[in-house]
Amino acid sequence: MRDFVLVGLSHRTAPVEVRERLAVPRDRLGEELREIAASGRFDEALLISTCNRVELYATSSDPIDAAKRARDALAARLLDFAAEDALYQERGVDAVRHVFRVASSLDSLVVGEPQILGQVKEAFDAAKGAGTVGTLLGRCFTQAFATAKRVRNETGIAQGTVSVSSIACELAKKIFGNLEGRRTLLLGAGEMGESAARSLRQTGTQLHVINRSEDRAHSLAESCGGRAVPYERLTLELAEADVVIASTASPKFILTPEMMKGVVRSRRHRPLFIIDIAVPRDVDPRVGNMDNVFVYDVDDLQQVAEENLSVRAREASLAESIVEEELGAFVTWRRSLELAPTIVALRKRFAEVAEQELRRALPRLDGVKDSDRAVLEAMSRSMVNKLLHQPMTQLKAGAGEPDGALLIDAVRRLFALSEEDAGAKEASTEGSGEAKVTQLTTAAAGSSGDST
Amino acid sequence: MKAGLFIATAVLYALACILYLLLLTRGAERARRLPGTVFVAALGAHIAFLLLEGPSTHELPLADMSQILSISSFGIGIAFLLASYRFDVTILGAFVAPLSLMLFLASGLGSSYAPVSPPVQSAVLTLHIGANVLGLVAFALAFAAGLAYLVQERLLRRRQLSGVFQRLPSLDVLDTMSLRAVLVGFPLLTFGMITGTFWLLRSDGSQFFVSQALGLVAWAIFAGVIVLRVAAGWQGRKAALGTMMGFLFTLLVLAGYALRAAAEGG
Repeated sequence: MRDFVLVGLSHRTAPVEVRERLAVPRDRLGEELREIAASGRFDEALLISTCNRVELYATSSDPIDAAKRARDALAARLLDFAAEDALYQERGVDAVRHVFRVASSLDSLVVGEPQILGQVKEAFDAAKGAGTVGTLLGRCFTQAFATAKRVRNETGIAQGTVSVSSIACELAKKIFGNLEGRRTLLLGAGEMGESAARSLRQTGTQLHVINRSEDRAHSLAESCGGRAVPYERLTLELAEADVVIASTASPKFILTPEMMKGVVRSRRHRPLFIIDIAVPRDVDPRVGNMDNVFVYDVDDLQQVAEENLSVRAREASLAESIVEEELGAFVTWRRSLELAPTIVALRKRFAEVAEQELRRALPRLDGVKDSDRAVLEAMSRSMVNKLLHQPMTQLKAGAGEPDGALLIDAVRRLFALSEEDAGAKEASTEGSGEAKVTQLTTAAAGSSGDST
Repeated sequence: MKAGLFIATAVLYALACILYLLLLTRGAERARRLPGTVFVAALGAHIAFLLLEGPSTHELPLADMSQILSISSFGIGIAFLLASYRFDVTILGAFVAPLSLMLFLASGLGSSYAPVSPPVQSAVLTLHIGANVLGLVAFALAFAAGLAYLVQERLLRRRQLSGVFQRLPSLDVLDTMSLRAVLVGFPLLTFGMITGTFWLLRSDGSQFFVSQALGLVAWAIFAGVIVLRVAAGWQGRKAALGTMMGFLFTLLVLAGYALRAAAEGG
């Protein structure tokens, strides 16, 4: 029985130094894939490579062994035994759930970020181009895209942003409206301050950098596209700025109420947004009580980020339930491709036809004795069996082959055996539908012996 | 027919109020356009109502209190639609629609308002009332923007940044909108005051003393807000508070007239 295999590493398991060793450039993706598929003897293969994850998806009729080969293929590229611990693997329905979650951005560093879907689509196209995608991966990824679309449309997970920089930007927009042409003053050279200044710069504000060490101010200004200003001009700069990001290493307050009183007057009460991300703080909290001056410190920003996160957590659980729903649909389809229920359904379909015809013919015969009736019934049964013998043999033989699923799919379509049929039959013939799901998960020890 | 149309208009206004408030507090993403649509429908019903009870030929327009209130309510609605087109502030309907509803309902008490007696009617009076109605409309928008500014500023200071804060416009937009509305309304109010005084001098008008005094206070407040804004660069909370106060005084003037008319009519 063919099943899914996934081996990979992501931001959850490996730092960037390890991830970058596995990353495959986009233009080499197809080539690399063909190589991996050939050397690993996979039926199908697909490689996702982004800055946050490298994952190899494959299908094989011997999933356990295939997982080992896939792991080896990636480990060989890592060139480092210690780093192998970062590799995770999933099989069967868990691998499918993983694709659905990745495509829906539930496994991303910033949950809900929109780029990942495009990257997965690219990987899918590359694999199609390389000819390593077949029925199973094809259906699996197509449904992953549909799931991602549902998650984006039906939950709020894609709205709102979380990082401190983006919260600073969002707040600045809520105060100043359009940020174009406004001025940001970066006070001090902390790392977080730099990244906040950079994001503000991207929204179109001018950036001035002020620092005790002028060299540092110059290099910082250069790297962020801003202008370095001498430290003596601090009060003047404060009077002209709209957003101030304070992140100095100073042990005591730099912006005191006494100083800010003059600043507020000389800036004629224009609103001033101060983001204090220094620890210890640079801005006296009393400054925040002044009219038209808004001060947010690290804790405030953190609180906002967490509120944002809790909103997201709510949305994410909604998204997870969508993933499970779609997964259920996929499992139903997948199960329909299994041999046993197909054979049962096929037999039942034929038997039904024979029975129907018999019931229609019998009343038209005059004086049929019970013994004649038994003969007729036996004849129709044996006819069905004879007719079914060859297809059954072929199906069972094909189950072990790479294209077994295709054959089953064809039979299902030729005789119009619906997917739900398979599920229902199975439930009635085998007692519970659960059995088949777990079979998918544990991949049935990889043997094709489930063609009972 | 007239009563039915009045009730329909009032119900539509009330419905728009509720929907706007829900949009503000709950943020029903899917029904974003619904409140606006209902509000426009309310304005449609209102215009039909105005045409139906329109002034007879031998009467000057704007001649009775009921009509003044009704027209003010309608004007606020129209001005808000224009402003929301210009500033993208649809959500302010949550503050504007209740004003429209309130004035419209007040106009409905109109059966008890006595029309201004023909001897005191004149072109000057019409100018006086027209200018003041337009001024009131502008100040109503300034009031809504100022109120939204105060709400928004308070949320920002209390770090309550989800929900309502996300849905209201930025402080800058609200402040600008409030300032522009006051700058439009103030000359109209001034003109209204002058024509009013002129008319009062011609008739023996000492009787309007209280309303006049209130009007003068409103005028002084708006003048102060403008002077401080333009000359001293005032912005934000204090300007918003001043603007709201000015509007409340203009409402008081209107209420004074309405009470007097009601007393005379009753």
